[in-house]
Amino acid sequence: MAKQITFEFEGKNYTLEFTRKSIEIMERQGFVIGDIVDKPMLTLPALFAGAFLAHHRSIKRKEIDAIYEKMTNKEELLQKLAEMYNEPLEALMEEPEENEGNVEWGASW
Amino acid sequence: MGGELVETAPQLSYTEQFYNCFPFYLSIGMTYDQYWNSDCLLVKYYREAFDIRKKRENESLWLQGAYIYDALCAVSPVLHAFAKAGTKPQPYLDAPYPLTKKESEDIEASKRKADRQRARAMFEAWASGLDLPEHKSKGE
Repeated sequence: MAKQITFEFEGKNYTLEFTRKSIEIMERQGFVIGDIVDKPMLTLPALFAGAFLAHHRSIKRKEIDAIYEKMTNKEELLQKLAEMYNEPLEALMEEPEENEGNVEWGASW
Repeated sequence: MGGELVETAPQLSYTEQFYNCFPFYLSIGMTYDQYWNSDCLLVKYYREAFDIRKKRENESLWLQGAYIYDALCAVSPVLHAFAKAGTKPQPYLDAPYPLTKKESEDIEASKRKADRQRARAMFEAWASGLDLPEHKSKGE
């Protein structure tokens, strides 16, 4: 099951998810995920809006912005949305077969 | 020095990468809608299913090769250029190879049963030819 963010806003349930099609639409509209580092304040609302395309395509941008305004913990939201955005591409990449040449790595956090 | 670490290769957008992989997934049975609009992790399961199918096909081809080998072995006596007149080929396998442990056990069991019946028939045939007192008394 793909990563999703779910929440309720004004009595309605929302599910945020990225499909390959929604990413294609976002990129066609000029969204570049690389901008997340240089222009996070511009990118995050666009990323948030793009996550509605999969399950709530008819929702208006105004409504999305209103929901976005009410979202708490935006830093973590950005992180989760970025993970979700990468998932459709990561799923296409095969894990290397196990052999002695593979590099094991770890993170400190 | 270290310039190769600074120069970046032209990056493919996500969309371009999706389109690059798309034909492969179509070829292994995914539909347009599944690839573009469904759960993005579905591709992993399609890949796994594809690997299983490849393995099964490989095993099937191997099995076919084994049957051909057996058939060639069976006819090899008559393929011999200096084969004696009247040489006959060996019979082909009377049943397919057992594929499961249970199948193989069943075949063994039925073979043993047939052996026992043959031995019993032989023994009975031999016993009926004997001049036993029991036979005599029955005859009288």
